[in-house]
Parts: sequence; structure tokens; C-alpha cells
Amino acid sequence: MTDYAVMNQHLFEGNHQQVKGATEATLAEGRPVLEVLNEGLIAGMAVIGEDFKHNRVFVPEVLLAARAMKAGLAVIQPLLIGDGTPQEAAKVIVMGTVKGDLHDIGKNLVGMLAEGAGFQIVDLGTNTSARSFIEAVEAHDAAILGMSALLTTTMVYMKTVVDEVRAAGLEIRICVGGAPLSQEFADEIGADGYAADASSAVELFKRLTAWPERAATGSSKAISAR
Amino acid sequence: MQLLEPALVDRIVHESMAVLENTGVLIEDAETFSKVRALGLPGDESSMRIRFPRATLEQALRDAPKAITLHDREGTPHSHLADDRTHFVPASSALRILDRKTDQVRDPLTADFVEYVKVCDGLDHIAYLSTAFIPTDVPKDIADAWRLYLHLTHSKKPIVSGAFTAFGVRPMAKMMECFRSDKQDLIDRPMSIFTCCPNTPLRWSEDSTQNLIDCAEAGIPIEVVPVLLLGMISPCTLVGALVLHTAEVLSGLAIAQTVRPGTPVAFGGAPASFHMRLMTNPMTAVEVLRVYCGYAQIAKHLDLPSQAYLGLGDGKFNDAQAGAESGIGMFLAAMAGFNSVSGPGMLDYVNCFSLEKLVFDDELAGQALHFARPTTIVDDLPAGPLIEELTRDGHLLTSEHTLAHWEDELYIPGIMVDRTNREQWENAGSPTQKDRAAKRIESLLADYEPQPIDREFAQFAQDLLRGASSETDFTFPSIGK
Ligand code: B12
Repeated sequence: MTDYAVMNQHLFEGNHQQVKGATEATLAEGRPVLEVLNEGLIAGMAVIGEDFKHNRVFVPEVLLAARAMKAGLAVIQPLLIGDGTPQEAAKVIVMGTVKGDLHDIGKNLVGMLAEGAGFQIVDLGTNTSARSFIEAVEAHDAAILGMSALLTTTMVYMKTVVDEVRAAGLEIRICVGGAPLSQEFADEIGADGYAADASSAVELFKRLTAWPERAATGSSKAISAR
Repeated sequence: MQLLEPALVDRIVHESMAVLENTGVLIEDAETFSKVRALGLPGDESSMRIRFPRATLEQALRDAPKAITLHDREGTPHSHLADDRTHFVPASSALRILDRKTDQVRDPLTADFVEYVKVCDGLDHIAYLSTAFIPTDVPKDIADAWRLYLHLTHSKKPIVSGAFTAFGVRPMAKMMECFRSDKQDLIDRPMSIFTCCPNTPLRWSEDSTQNLIDCAEAGIPIEVVPVLLLGMISPCTLVGALVLHTAEVLSGLAIAQTVRPGTPVAFGGAPASFHMRLMTNPMTAVEVLRVYCGYAQIAKHLDLPSQAYLGLGDGKFNDAQAGAESGIGMFLAAMAGFNSVSGPGMLDYVNCFSLEKLVFDDELAGQALHFARPTTIVDDLPAGPLIEELTRDGHLLTSEHTLAHWEDELYIPGIMVDRTNREQWENAGSPTQKDRAAKRIESLLADYEPQPIDREFAQFAQDLLRGASSETDFTFPSIGK
């Protein structure tokens, strides 16, 4: 019997195997794929996101939940695409630290949290050239390109990437982040978004891709903060 | 100060060597990996990991000098980094500065850097300088070398610096060689320490590895500075963190010694914590202070000069938090016997430099150094005669003992530390700390003595930098007189 509240609770507690199992079981019962995605996974993540915002949980718990979310998504993903509803498939974000720069702690955190919010991350690692960004965006039909830079010497390369991406005629939202950056800089280089930390980065990604915003109602009641 | 039992220090060193023997370090670039392997260090091509046999590590420790003597621009010995001798230095490479006139954070310019060098050159307790922040009015690919140029043209003191790119060290070494008779002379009489950071956990990037190699070849002393983030890219516990930290430092040391035995290397670090809610990297967290005190012991045990990022603040302004964090850091650094302590002037997780903070920190540094002096008997034992004199005269103000020693013993801070009583303070116009900082900075600027250099050097260096930049269409900002 489908009990999304239990599934949400498993997600909240980061029990990735249970989340995977519950996703499979629920689908086997014949519940619609989108319902499982929304009620079972996204709703659960919304709760942990809220709790994180209100300091009730910390980064490790969020990442454990994100891992569980990913386990569930892995089951759902092929079906969504097979369903002929690619627009509902997890949106792909291509992420990388720009050429010359190897600071990746912030970028990795952004990636992990975004994954937890249901995005699919293609991580190009560090020292990434404009060409690699473009190739990955094309290969994965990405919705967002996320760039990170921590050095004043490398942040300028973001402009090169933006210019080359635009010149290649790619329809993609470009987001940037990293300690030396600012909204002003992002505007200056023609990026579509800037965020100062990982939580606001995820908000930004959702906004830019108009991710279906699900309020954590109903099922959230069943979830108890630890 | 002893945080670790000697047996535990031994065990940590042992474990860290085992980590280097078994796991080794990843060299993140194939060509650089080959270079390191060609030095004779065993490596595994498929994983690009270099492993360090224990004998290699032990040999490296024997080859590494126990002290670093930094010389000034003229070649005169200036600071001797050894034993428990502590030197305070501004922290390095801030992205921004806190403008002292507007209290706004902004991008630094060449003029700011020149002002900083002039102020810092005259500070009493800051032993030598650092490339504290990055001027943004020159092409970014030569900003690292431009800072060094500005320093060399305005101060004779040694400097802590570093490169931002794989080939950044060479032009900087060339500039310094101009002040020595030849390459060997720069090796014999170094004027700078360069920071080289492993990429925690146990990785060396192309840039940092190349910087290590170039520094070792040019004889530039190196501070190996791992940046652990506790709980994120390091064990969150003290001993686990120290094993990782020590392994990373020893890997840098061993590579440098393999390039040129005898390369001076400081056991450095800039460990930070990871804030599990805000996702920031507090440099002054209390658990991080323990990591510092721990590795100071390890450095001493290995008989290596040591370096720390202590004496900075993580807040945004020169407020109570800044004072407390900086003061605690500097006192611990001096008590732990760190040799080179980068921190003064820095705020906001090494992101923002403040000249006002620097002049205040100079006073904290003075006090920390005063506190950490070895305790000696100074004509005060047996105490009988002195006590007799005191009970007889009711005071010791004019006693021979006081006259002989008070200036060494009683530390009188400068104006940055308020020691007035309320009336004295009101009579002086009730100056705030900010007012006093402005006054101190203005007086240091007024007292600054130019340190002229040959015109030829300026031309040589500017040509060198122009050649090193990928940009062609720019002029160097004027640096005044
Ligand atoms: C850790 C660190 C390192 C580590 C990096 C390890 C790693 N795997 O990333 C090591 C030791 C390797 C390193 C090396 C160097 N570093 Co460093 N480093 C830092 C440090 C202390 C912390 C960075 C960090 O991880 N912060 C924690 C994370 C979580 O925060 P964050 O990166 O800002 O990310 C958050 C946001 O910015 C945002 N975000 C980040 N990316 C993105 C992307 C998108 C799309 C979005 C929307 C948001 C977003 O969300 C994140 C999470 O909340 C900073 C100082 C600082 N406080 O920033 C210096 C700093 C950036 N480094 C600096 C320097 C100088 C260097 C070196 C040149 C030193 C040297 N000579 O070897 C080398 C350069 C190597 C290179 N080529 O890149 C300077 C830069 C100076 C400058 N003006 O550019 C700094 C400011 C420190 C200093 N003052 O010296 N460094």
C-alpha cells in the first residue's frame, strides 16, 4: 500500500535504500510516475529544505536526504523519459570550476544540494574550458550552466565562457558563483543568475527552470524533525 | 604549550608517513605527474599517484633546513625563522579591502597597495610584509607579480608571497634576482617565502606542483599550506585532521627536497572549519585553534620552521569579534612558538584586508610577543633586598632595579590600545578606535622613508610583466613617488 508519508520520512532520514525500495514498490502498484515524483520525493525534499532554512537540520542531514532523493530519482528517471514527457525529466545542470581555477568545494556543495532538489548534475570538475562547457551542454541537453570561480585571476574567464556559449547559439541559462563574485559582476558579464551560497543557488536554479514549486503541506505533518 | 602527549605526536607522524607510503598524493596533471616521477619518486601512471617510501621522507627531513633566514632587499639578514622565534606578518591575497574612509568593501587598486606597503613598512611588531591583497587595475594574469613589484619598489623588508598560475613563480624569481649578484646569491640570501597549497585531500594541482618545483629551483623558501576544512574535506577530529595535515606538508617537503636538497620549507597551514549550517569556512573556529597548536608541536618535533594563519578575524569589521579572534590567535601563535604568523589585517575568511585592522593588530602582535618571552630571573632572586627597598621607600619608581628593567618589562602600547582614564580620554577629544587608526595611519605615512631603486629595475620589471601578460593594451598604473 502506498504511503507517501512513510516514504517522505525515509527521505527525511536519508534512508536511501528504503527510498529506492519504496519508489519501486509504489510504481509496481501502478501509481502514476509523476505522482510518485511529486508526492514521494519532491514533497519530502521540500520539508528538509524548509527545516534547513529554519536551522532545524544541518548540512550532513540535507546531503543524506539528497542522496536518498537521488536513489529514488534513479528509478523514476528512465520512466519519465520513456513516458514521452521529457519536460518533466530531471533538468540537467552542467557545473564546473572555470579554467585556471581548482577551487571546487563550493561548486560541489551547490551540486549536491541541487541534486537533492531533483536536478541532474553533470560535473565537469575544475579547470574547465569554454569548449568543454559547450560540449557538455550540448551532449546533455542541459537547462543550466553553472560556473564557479574563487580567484580574481580566473573569474574573468567566465565572460569568455558566456560569450562563447552565446556565440554557439545555445539556449541555456548561465549561473555563476564563488567568493570574489557579485550580482554586479554577473550582470556585467551577461550571466542569467548569481547566488552567494548553495541554498540560494538551488532557489535560483528552480526559479530559472520554473521547477514545480510544491508546498510541503499534508505529507509534511507526518514528518518529524529529529 | 602542549596539547599532545609526545607519544601521540610520534604516532601522528608515523601515521602520516604511512598515508604517504600507501595512499600517496594525486598529481592532478599528467605532464606534471611525469615531471615529479622523473625526479625519482615512485608513482603509478594509471592513478597518477606519487607514493613516498619512508626512507625518502626521512631523507627529506634530514635534508630540509632547520631554520630559514630571510634577508632584506639589500641582502642583510632580517628575520631568523627557527626555534620559538615568532614573526607576525599580514595575511595574504585578500580579494577586497575595507576602505577606511568610506567603511565600504571594494576592489583594491595599486594606490591602495602602495599605501599599505608604506604603512606596514613602519610598523613595530610586523616583522616583514606580505602581498596582502590583489590590485585590480592591472591585467589579472600578472597581478601576483605586480604586487611583488610594488613591494620591492617601496620596502626593503622580506615578503611572504606566492603565485596564482603555474608559471607565476619564474618572473617573480627573476625580479628578486635583480637584487642579488646571481641565482646562487638569491638561494643563499632569500628575501621571500612563497606559499604553496596542496589541494586537500592529498592532491597537488598542476599550478602548485609547478610552483613547488620552481621555488625549490630558484631557492625561494616555501611554506606548505594545507587548507583543511574540518568535517568537509578532513576528519572533524583533532588527531585525524593532524594526520592528514602532516601528510600533506610532508608530501610538499619531500617533493621540494627531491628537486633541490636543502630547499627551506616551513611546516605551514591554514586549516579552517566547515560551518554545518552556513557552509562557510571559519578560519578562527575554536576547534581550528587546536589543530594549529597540534601541528606546531609536530613541526617542532620534526625540527622544521613553522607557519600559521593566525591573528585574523572572520567578521566583516574591526569590531569586538575581530579583536578577540585576532588577539586569541596571536597569543596562541606566540605561545606555540610558530615562526611565521600570517594574519594581521585580515577579515572575512581571508577575503578582506583592512589597514585599520593592521595597525591595531600590530599592537596585539607586540603584546603577544611580549607575553611569550621566556621567563628569566632578572635581578629579582633572592628577592630580599628588593622587598626591603620597597618596604623602606614605599615605592620602587626610582629604584635601580626598576630603572634598569622597566622598559623591557612594562609594555606601553601605542595609541591603538586605549590606556587613558576617562578624563584623559575626554580631554583628548574622546577619540574612537577609528579616529586613532586614522591618526596612526597618517603618521606612519608621514614618517615613511622612500626606498628608492634603480630606474633600470623598474624598466626591467615592467618589461618582464608586460611580456608575461596575455593582454597587450594596457598601461601600468602610476605608483607615485
Ligand atoms: C579552500 C581554499 C583553497 C583550497 C581549495 C580546495 C578545493 N578543493 O576547493 C586550496 C588550498 C587548494 C587553494 C588553493 C589556492 N588558493 Co585558495 N582558498 C580557499 C579558501 C580558504 C576557501 C574557499 C572555500 O572552499 N570556501 C568554502 C565554500 C563552501 O565557499 P565558496 O567557495 O565561496 O562557495 C559558496 C558560494 O560562493 C557559492 N558558489 C560557489 N560556486 C558557485 C557556483 C554557482 C553556479 C553558484 C550559483 C554559486 C556558487 O555557493 C557555495 C556554497 O555556499 C578561500 C578563501 C575564502 N574564504 O573564500 C581561498 C582563496 C580563494 N584562495 C586564494 C589563493 C590565492 C589560492 C592560491 C593561488 C594559493 C597558492 N598560491 O597556492 C591557490 C590557487 C589554486 C588554483 N589555481 O585555483 C585566495 C584568492 C585570492 C584572489 N584574489 O584571487 C583566497 C581568497 C584566500 C586568500 N586570501 O589567500 N585554496
